[in-house]
Amino acid sequence: MPDFNVRSDAVNVEQIMEQIRARIREKRGVDYTEAEIRELASVKLEKFLDPRGVRSDLLEQFRKAQPPFAPPELPNYAFEDQTLFESTRGPLRLVRKLLKPILKLFFNPNPLIQALNIQSKLNASLAEREAKRDAARYAFDQLHYEVMHNLVLETTRLGIEVKNLKMRIESLASRLEFNERRARALEGAVVYKPAADERPARVEEPRREESRRDEGRRDEGRRDDSRRQESRRQERQERPEPPPRQQPPAPPASPEPVVDAVAAQVDATSPDGAAAPAPEGPGQRSRRRRRRRGRRGSGAAAALMTGGQPGETGGDGDDSAGSDEGDGDSGLESAGSESVAHEPTSAPSHAAPEPPAASAPSPEPVQTSQPTPDDPSATPEQ
Amino acid sequence: MKLAIVVQRYGHAINGGAELHARYVAEHLARHAQVEVWTTCATDYVTWRNELAAGDERVNNLLVRRFPVKHERDPLTFGRLSDHVFNASHSVADELEWLEAEGPTSPGLVSHITKHAGEFDFCIFFSYRYYHAFHGARAAGTRAILVPTAERDPAVGLSIFGPIFRGVRALMYNSPEERTMIQSIAGNQQVPSVVVGVGSDVPANPQPQRFRQKHGIRGPFAVYVGRIDENKGCRELFRHFESYLRNGAGKLTLVLIGNSILDIPKHPRIRHLGFVDDADKFDAIAAAELLIMPSFFESLSMVALEAWALGKPVLANAKCDVLKGQCIRSNAGLYYENTAEFVETLRALEFNKWVAGSLGKNGRQYYRDNYDWPVIERKYLDMLQRLSASKDAPGFEALPGWMERRKDNCPPAADIVAATPAGPSTAPDMTLPRPTGPVSPPLPRRPQPAVPERQERPRPQQRPSGGQGRRAQGNRGRRGQSSGAPR
Repeated sequence: MPDFNVRSDAVNVEQIMEQIRARIREKRGVDYTEAEIRELASVKLEKFLDPRGVRSDLLEQFRKAQPPFAPPELPNYAFEDQTLFESTRGPLRLVRKLLKPILKLFFNPNPLIQALNIQSKLNASLAEREAKRDAARYAFDQLHYEVMHNLVLETTRLGIEVKNLKMRIESLASRLEFNERRARALEGAVVYKPAADERPARVEEPRREESRRDEGRRDEGRRDDSRRQESRRQERQERPEPPPRQQPPAPPASPEPVVDAVAAQVDATSPDGAAAPAPEGPGQRSRRRRRRRGRRGSGAAAALMTGGQPGETGGDGDDSAGSDEGDGDSGLESAGSESVAHEPTSAPSHAAPEPPAASAPSPEPVQTSQPTPDDPSATPEQ
Repeated sequence: MKLAIVVQRYGHAINGGAELHARYVAEHLARHAQVEVWTTCATDYVTWRNELAAGDERVNNLLVRRFPVKHERDPLTFGRLSDHVFNASHSVADELEWLEAEGPTSPGLVSHITKHAGEFDFCIFFSYRYYHAFHGARAAGTRAILVPTAERDPAVGLSIFGPIFRGVRALMYNSPEERTMIQSIAGNQQVPSVVVGVGSDVPANPQPQRFRQKHGIRGPFAVYVGRIDENKGCRELFRHFESYLRNGAGKLTLVLIGNSILDIPKHPRIRHLGFVDDADKFDAIAAAELLIMPSFFESLSMVALEAWALGKPVLANAKCDVLKGQCIRSNAGLYYENTAEFVETLRALEFNKWVAGSLGKNGRQYYRDNYDWPVIERKYLDMLQRLSASKDAPGFEALPGWMERRKDNCPPAADIVAATPAGPSTAPDMTLPRPTGPVSPPLPRRPQPAVPERQERPRPQQRPSGGQGRRAQGNRGRRGQSSGAPR
């Protein structure tokens, strides 16, 4: 546990407790106790569930709708052989008893008595069975209500959990997106490591140099073509030393001043020095955009890392990717087209905004002035 | 000045809170007045069995008069009556029956008070809830001073105690929470009262190393001192501490001091030492990183005061209003309400020595300001002088008549206590001054690995807009400085 950051001798217990509790809340996140969940389920259910679907006071409503169970009062179905002749009055009972033989002269009551006796037993049995069934139904109803209530609780709990998980997923997605962008950016910066002896000859920003060195270190295993590097190095040494870069005056009315200024600067520093004004062709800018987009994309980055680094292949006449002078553009174009192939839908939309005519007076593209992935002139626009 | 201290048990071997409190007060007031102690022959607060001889005895040069207890407590009867008067509507007769069942029923003691209270200036009764205080205070009349030692339990809500709280000459409370509770129940704001508490005979130079050597304890530890009982919150303490151990980061051992009537978890970092003498107890507290007080009900935790006197922080159970209030007022202890808070507060005290030291320092100051013996004695003597000067004595309300006593018109005592305001008292009279300026919050600095990683990672391309652009500029500036490249 890290140290408390207390700057003076004064401590305040209540403040410390507040901070400890805040820290516990931070650790646990949205953590509900059983009581809180119950409270949520009964009171604030509409926040988590569809109120039209589930009622928060479900159990209470069921209990109100269902009166408390009381066993039914069964009628007296008893019917015995003396039932017909019974009376609450003693003399009448005596008279009936005396006259019963006379009654039996007229008809035989015994079958009637037996039938009624059987019927009374049937009645009692049925009533008892019905009462048992009612009791069982009541018990089952209680069980159902409890199950429903528990379902409501669990649904609430799940709702809360789903909400938390959604938040976590959002957080993870944003983090993943950030990491992907970062990975693309890193992949786009992959270049080969320049030799130590040619460092003074190249005028580049130290920061980019360092970054390139890091990336070059990663790619050392892949760049085993020492012969090609050697030829490149020799060719660079034959080139005239580029003058130190100056801040180009940015035209204020230009829609893309930085790009134009950088393009002009790069053209000025081109090895042959022939295309000093560095006019851009109409499709050049869109191609450059496509290439940059391709560099950001994994396909283009893969192409760059597997040797298809157009800016770095300049001067190698044997290279199939082309040279700076003649085939550089085609090499770049191939990388760009590869990226377009990976992102077929994005290319037309990005190619649509054409540069203004003022900024691109010449339709002829200057191959050597194309900003390469390690070209610092590409940095401000990205 | 002649004073009589009336308490349910008294003696060297009796270490109950109120009894020890009474002994300390008696011995310290004996320096300023002639003091006698009137008590029973009992030593066990559960049975009140007569274990000591009745008659006069000298304890630390104090005359102690012991009176026999008429009958022992019947736990079943007492439990049944307690359940009735605490949780159901009942009558005054029921409450008196409950008091008789609780004990220690010593008519001889009450009779002695009736006869001899007039010979003393004041009779100081300890523990309102027992037979001797209820009947003795009525017998002493206007000479009765009460030290209630009341906890937040249902007994304080019984209606028979209201007239006692309103009728005594003065009340010597242990804490502001106790005063608030009794005043809200009994409405006795007019009775003179003061929050006093009690001091302790803390040694000037305890020997922590001696304790470690004697008991073979190495490494940091937290100590609990007291009876190891579920009622004292020890079961909860074990549960919390096991959670702390499961967490794995801390290195504290829990050392338990006191007799146990509870199963103690078997763990190498939970050590039970049993009952130890006072010297060992103070050595243990001095050797500990902190004292833990898990009790739910306390009127005043003497061991917490002793820890503060020794400059140790206290981790208390926040469910006990008194302990929480003491921690807040003293600014010398943390408190917990659940396992997570226990673990975090324990770790905060363990890993932040500076905070623990500051809390301990505050505790020492709090003890010196409020609970050092000169302060306690002065408060008692001031109150006695004030009462001597004033002849205003309202006296006790008469008990209801025979018929009235038997009417079931007393509400459940638990309901009355539940209705009283809870929480720590914010009375400023015993609160240490808080820092007035902006207190730097002792925020635990959470490790943030993402930030340095983001700063260290290579940024080959800058982003064009928003805050990321600004951040990129900041990084660029640093890189520009390091590389020396102009921008």
